[in-house]
Amino acid sequence: MSRRSMLLAALTVIMALVALAPAMAQDKIQIPVWIAFTDSRLDWSRERAAEFNELFPQYEVTIEGYADYESIFAAASLAFEQGTQPAIVQYFEAATQDARDAGFEGNPQFKSVAEAFGDRTEVNGLPVNFDDFVDAARNYYTLDGSFTSFPWNTSSAIMFSNKTMLEAAGVEGIPATWAEVDAACEKIMAMENAPANCITWPNHGWFFEQAVAMQGADLVNNGNGREARATETFINSDAAVAYVSWWKDLQDKGYYIYTGAQRDWGGTYNAFVAGQVAMLLYSSSDTTALTNDGAAAGFDVVASFYPHNQDVEYAGNLIGGASLWLSNDLSTEVEDGALTFLLYFTNTENAASWHQFTGYVPITKSAIALLESEGWYEENPNSLVASDQLAAAIPSSATAGAIVGAFPAIRNHVTNAIEQVLVNGRDVTEALTEAKELADETLAEYNLLYAGE
Amino acid sequence: MLPPELIVLISIAAPALVGAAWLYRGSRTLSAGFIGVIAGGIGGALFMVPLNYCTFEADRTSTDVAFGVFLIALGAVIGIAVGAGVNRIVGSGKGISSLTSEQNTAGTFKGTVIPFALLAPTLVILALFLYAPALDNLRLSTLLARLGTDRTAFVCVDNFTKLLEPRQNYGQTLYATFLISFFTVIIGLAISLMIAYVAYQPVRGASIYRTLLIWPYAISPPVAGIIFGMVFNEGAGIMNHLIRSGGGVPVQWLQSASIAPWTIIAASVWKSMGFNILFYIAGLQNVPKDLIEAAAIDGANFVVRFRRVIIPMLSPITFFLIITNITYAFFETYGTIDFLTRGGPAGATSTMIYRIVDNGLNQRDLGSAAAQSLILFSLVIIITLIQFRTSGRRVTYGR
Repeated sequence: MSRRSMLLAALTVIMALVALAPAMAQDKIQIPVWIAFTDSRLDWSRERAAEFNELFPQYEVTIEGYADYESIFAAASLAFEQGTQPAIVQYFEAATQDARDAGFEGNPQFKSVAEAFGDRTEVNGLPVNFDDFVDAARNYYTLDGSFTSFPWNTSSAIMFSNKTMLEAAGVEGIPATWAEVDAACEKIMAMENAPANCITWPNHGWFFEQAVAMQGADLVNNGNGREARATETFINSDAAVAYVSWWKDLQDKGYYIYTGAQRDWGGTYNAFVAGQVAMLLYSSSDTTALTNDGAAAGFDVVASFYPHNQDVEYAGNLIGGASLWLSNDLSTEVEDGALTFLLYFTNTENAASWHQFTGYVPITKSAIALLESEGWYEENPNSLVASDQLAAAIPSSATAGAIVGAFPAIRNHVTNAIEQVLVNGRDVTEALTEAKELADETLAEYNLLYAGE
Repeated sequence: MLPPELIVLISIAAPALVGAAWLYRGSRTLSAGFIGVIAGGIGGALFMVPLNYCTFEADRTSTDVAFGVFLIALGAVIGIAVGAGVNRIVGSGKGISSLTSEQNTAGTFKGTVIPFALLAPTLVILALFLYAPALDNLRLSTLLARLGTDRTAFVCVDNFTKLLEPRQNYGQTLYATFLISFFTVIIGLAISLMIAYVAYQPVRGASIYRTLLIWPYAISPPVAGIIFGMVFNEGAGIMNHLIRSGGGVPVQWLQSASIAPWTIIAASVWKSMGFNILFYIAGLQNVPKDLIEAAAIDGANFVVRFRRVIIPMLSPITFFLIITNITYAFFETYGTIDFLTRGGPAGATSTMIYRIVDNGLNQRDLGSAAAQSLILFSLVIIITLIQFRTSGRRVTYGR
């Protein structure tokens, strides 16, 4: 064969392959899934998807990762507008109301999972059992009496302490209240080889919400938005002012270090692992990583409850994290595939493995039982803290968590106000009152658009 | 408040009179005056008719009214400027061709069909992907609109006037934008010229140096943000490590509201330097050697040669670089800022483009983001016009 005809033959083969490839791939039912992780958590999810694709060869689940909750939320809204939304998308807890309201031309973006499952007790042989979910997640995601989205990665804000450093400073036990944190910091900073600062945490609205709920206060009106659509925020409540004042006081004494950027998960994490601070308030989602990184850096990490205000009765914490939302208007076969994947993804073994791998709480009671029977908690006491903290919460509207429209924007008003306090030394009450006014305006605009109220 | 009919009348009649006077003054013909009346009248109504004169409704604040008057004036200026152009075409009696220069007619197309047919692919793409979304943005800026719903509400010019409220801190945003942009351009160009001059010298391995110098340009702004985040990290960064080992006090590169903008400037300058150096080296190669030699023979020392010969000879390059660098500083620093400071601390590095993306996508307030992007758009147009009017005239193209 001449060179030219060989080239032609090769080209023909390539073109045939290109033409055939989509046809071959389309034999399987495509189930695109978007999640807001780009790290090892994405790899873990992709491994589960690969297993699922082998177990159910009629489906092909593909998982795409996004940098953070905020960007996946924006991307999914835009995709829906253009008709290219995935079958399943992971939205953070604060986007719950926005997700329920989202839609174009009267067509909702998401379908309630309870509605999608109907009264089926199994899909493709996988059992459906909503009662197995842990109470904190069930309470948060049960809206108008049923599950709107499928709980997955659920965490709580807890404290991590550099036990080695605390012991060196002569601190007994782990601080459980704000006053005990102050006292511990005083001892730590008085050490000869004291760290640069004593404590840090990200300026993320979630930590603020936790602290407000722990003092038994609602964040928004109408039963924290759970009895009726919330129309007013309580960002400048006494509980909020007390918390931010304590925070500012810690900073004034040189105990708290602000990393300079809002929602700075990375900077605060690194400060703790590098030994620049002795304590860190963080998401339990990174319990495993923090414990291991601390050990690698040569110190013991002990997890404990988020410190509470000693002057107020402890009301308990609320969840954080995200849930999986099912897109509306999927064909029956895609929807069934998506539901099957949701069940597989959160089955007992996977829920337990996800917890061990990250530090998110085991999302089902059966997973907790499995972990207990394997002796996991005896070996890894830090991993139990978040579940214990959530279980310790006294059920109330405050600890169920706020459901409110434009929540991410409201959080932004809160973190802006806190930043003005921390960076520009603004008065706490004044900054929070301004944030409340701005948040109420944002909420009024949101309600006007979505509910015509 | 005046009755609405009177407002409409004034908003059209006043610009029409101004337009007539302006154009008549220039050419002293009745037709010019007539064009002025039409252009001014249309200009006066340009923004107000789509807005349905909402800024003058009874329950509007004085800020809204003032903004309405501003919009009428702006529309009038645009209308009269277009009218002046039309007048030139009509007045010359040669149609569109009067806009092209007289001496350079060789090789031009006859008629209008073929040139427009050849331009069509570009025009269609521009219209579809640039002009149509830009017009839609105008509409969006008058709406209460949020990402995630198609329901909107007309809010007149609230998205603009809200920015004037002190608690919105828009003044700080403008200040941060100008501070960061101005110094990014000035410092960036100065350092780039210096480095380019050194790299341009015939030394061994010059091409290797030049390649290495251009490298930062190939790095995306977020990566530049990550690199500088590691360098300027307060606790673990290299910068503070050096300062500490030198016995100094660590600097709060990213935590201090007064220092953080300068960290952003440093990162932006570093990022844009490769591009600038590339152009300056190319420019330096085009500076005629005989000019420099002649200056040297005349007794000009290095500084004088640099100031009087090289910099003027580089002025077309500098002019081009100022425009591209302003665009860079205004629009493309988002990634760097997002990774270094997220607009903080307390808004000190929240530039206009950062705020637009943050308000529009993160806070989902599309209406406000649209309004802000129009302000940014107008600013860049104004700066570019000033630039063309001032430095543009001083540019020497060497012939």
